[in-house]
Amino acid sequence: MRRRALLAAAGGGLVALIGAGATVWSRVPVIPKRPQPDAETALGWIAHRDGRYTLTLPRAEMGQNITTALKQVACAELGVDWNAVEVRAHDTDMSEVKAPVGSESVMLFAEPLAQACAALRDALKAGRSAGAVTVAPRPLAALNAFRAGGQIGASPEIAQGREIVTGAPLYAADVARPGMLFGRVLRAPASTEVASRPARMNLAAARSVPGFVAVVEDCGPPIGKARGIGIVARRPGALDAIAEALSVDWEIEGTHPRADIASVVDIDSRLAEGPLPHRVLEGKPEQGPWNVDLRIDIPLAAHGPIEPRAAVAEWRGGALQVWSGTQDAFYIRDFLADAFGLGRDAVTVQSCRIGGAFGGRTICTVEAEAAALARAAGAPVKIQWTRAQEFALGFHRPPSSHRIRTRVTDGRIADWVHEQVSSHILFTAAAVPAWMQRATDLVAGDGGVARGMAAPYLLGRARAAYNAIRLPVHTGPWRGLGGGPNALAIESAVDEAALAAGADPLAFRLAHVEDPRLAAVLTRVGEIASWGNPTVLKEGQERTGRGIACGIYKGVSYAAAVADVAVDRSGTARVTRLWCVHDCGLVINPGQVRAQCEGNLVWSIGMVLSDELLSEEGRVVAETFGDAPIPRMTEVPPITVDLIQSNRPPSGAGETVIVVGPGAIANAIRTATGRRPRRFPLQTEEFAT
Amino acid sequence: MSFILNGESREIPSEWADEPLLYLLREHFGLTGAKYGCGVGICGACTVIVEGDAVRSCVMRAGDVEGVAVRTVEELAAGERLHPVQRAWLDLAVPQCGYCQSGQIMAAVALLEQTPRPSETEIEAAMDGNLCRCGTYRRIRAAITRAAEAV
Repeated sequence: MRRRALLAAAGGGLVALIGAGATVWSRVPVIPKRPQPDAETALGWIAHRDGRYTLTLPRAEMGQNITTALKQVACAELGVDWNAVEVRAHDTDMSEVKAPVGSESVMLFAEPLAQACAALRDALKAGRSAGAVTVAPRPLAALNAFRAGGQIGASPEIAQGREIVTGAPLYAADVARPGMLFGRVLRAPASTEVASRPARMNLAAARSVPGFVAVVEDCGPPIGKARGIGIVARRPGALDAIAEALSVDWEIEGTHPRADIASVVDIDSRLAEGPLPHRVLEGKPEQGPWNVDLRIDIPLAAHGPIEPRAAVAEWRGGALQVWSGTQDAFYIRDFLADAFGLGRDAVTVQSCRIGGAFGGRTICTVEAEAAALARAAGAPVKIQWTRAQEFALGFHRPPSSHRIRTRVTDGRIADWVHEQVSSHILFTAAAVPAWMQRATDLVAGDGGVARGMAAPYLLGRARAAYNAIRLPVHTGPWRGLGGGPNALAIESAVDEAALAAGADPLAFRLAHVEDPRLAAVLTRVGEIASWGNPTVLKEGQERTGRGIACGIYKGVSYAAAVADVAVDRSGTARVTRLWCVHDCGLVINPGQVRAQCEGNLVWSIGMVLSDELLSEEGRVVAETFGDAPIPRMTEVPPITVDLIQSNRPPSGAGETVIVVGPGAIANAIRTATGRRPRRFPLQTEEFAT
Repeated sequence: MSFILNGESREIPSEWADEPLLYLLREHFGLTGAKYGCGVGICGACTVIVEGDAVRSCVMRAGDVEGVAVRTVEELAAGERLHPVQRAWLDLAVPQCGYCQSGQIMAAVALLEQTPRPSETEIEAAMDGNLCRCGTYRRIRAAITRAAEAV
């Protein structure tokens, strides 16, 4: 692209800027590092001075309330009062640790933290008051934090709760810096997989907007192949008017060859082309007629956090400071160092509380935009994406199309085939270029798509395989990765198999379950929901029904759910009651584990009834929550959550229930209507009477 | 041009008059409680109380509150003493990510000031437009009921 001086305004208080230099953005992606935490590292998280302790939170806080849980662990192990420990968010000066993904924060961080706190406690008890402490790891049984009692198993007031309810600044967009300006990077209304760039624009009109500061050509790396044009203003509200006045004409290089996503993510047409490349289960089912032959289609969906991503960037000399609500401050640091040609030491990223992440805050976008505009403007710049940008430029849950075939012999599943076509999750196109993805496809497949495809049942001769296809819309991690969609398909098919066997769905599942912890949550949810004696709410002409599902997340956390639904004559379904049982080992904070279960059940309602991000010609066209709705208060029925009491080491709770809620709701709709939901969100006209 | 912000008369600088009220509050006055969530009045994260009613500050022009009383979440607590709605929010551990909660709280405060003993239907009518992606809705209902008993 030919570089032009875009702006050389003088007077009128305008900052003069020019598009500087021919920046060539790196073509090799920065790969996130995921070092496992250990007790030695954990010593860097806890510090003691004059009877007070500071816990530097080694995780991002995004609503899982890990701040509270790890503070409980620290207090229990140190043997100190709740108020003796102050918790601080980390920045990238802390030793690098694995990012908070995959519900691992308690599972992987509680023990190292407890080991470090035990060592610190013993050193203080021995009269030491200065110098470094060394850790001699002790067995779990010797750690106070791994025994119920005191802070462990309690639900204290959540950390940062007071700040939240009083409106104190916590989030990236709450950061204010002296002389701070407001920015946005405009990009073409096109697929981010198609090259696009600004061609013409009306600079004079933009300049005349009150609050205008600058138009910036060097506005950071492209998102996918979408190059942008930056605008900077004195007040955030001026950005809309400047963008409109600028009226950018975009140069867009053609259309994407797979622009019609629905025809690409179509399991039957994909199977007609040949076998799927990635195997999850390797059994050899017998061919021939099937008892169940079920296709399930689940669409592209947004994370929909209420906080659009935001960042503030400030340059001091050659050093860059960024405030960001990110799941991985270290990755953001490395990305920015690479993008702006800086040493890692010259970049500091301060982790801020995230206003909902759900897997969507794992890449670097708005941070690089803010850094580029701040460099050009010579002042700190805050950018918060608009809701429309969140939809257009973020990555999303990939659509998936499943076909499951089963044969039931003598009341048991004898053969099982699950085939799926979807798009990438772990090797997201938002961070991994096509050439590199071809290599990961060849050697690794995509474990995110595969997650949960190995159903937790005795399936006889079972085969499962998938194919991930790069799409014109970026896809990536979304709460539970493939776990939610795969389980929705699997639990639908298992329910159909139970029907084919003429068996009760709960008894049929128990007969196919080997793992005693899974059997226990199933049995328990049947008890608390009075499975055999349902009293389903009924109003007028509504058809009512009840469904059940169970599952294991990542091999470590167990859940089962029961749902009651009512479907009216128009085919509109509402969930009238939910029960859920969860087993994640030792529970540090039952109030917050319940909160995660409740949240996943609300997500389950969304997965079945509303989640869908519409695209046309290879780009997302949704711009508001009206176009891509999320569940509302009136859609959420009374919820009962029961936690299994356990002394096993704690596992994760942030995603488990998303593998059981959707199946239970879909199966309830099947019971109520006699018709199997196959396309999600529910196509109401198919269920009208 | 002035208005009453959390009980005190404050100037609206002329260059801020055409900004959304949300940005006047957040970026000029540094009151970060109200949040930007959607910019078009759908999600309710920006909810503040104007003349007793819960309104969406992202779609209200700052200049239009001239002479009017605006209340934000920052004015609810008296020092360390929380408003009953804030207290209930903490007692029931309502917030997950917390981003929408200042808007939820202001919608709940407006509801309870107008309807001190709201029915479930009245709670739904007042709150259904305030979105929460974490799914804290059942706790929000319970906290409103608890706060109503405490007021």
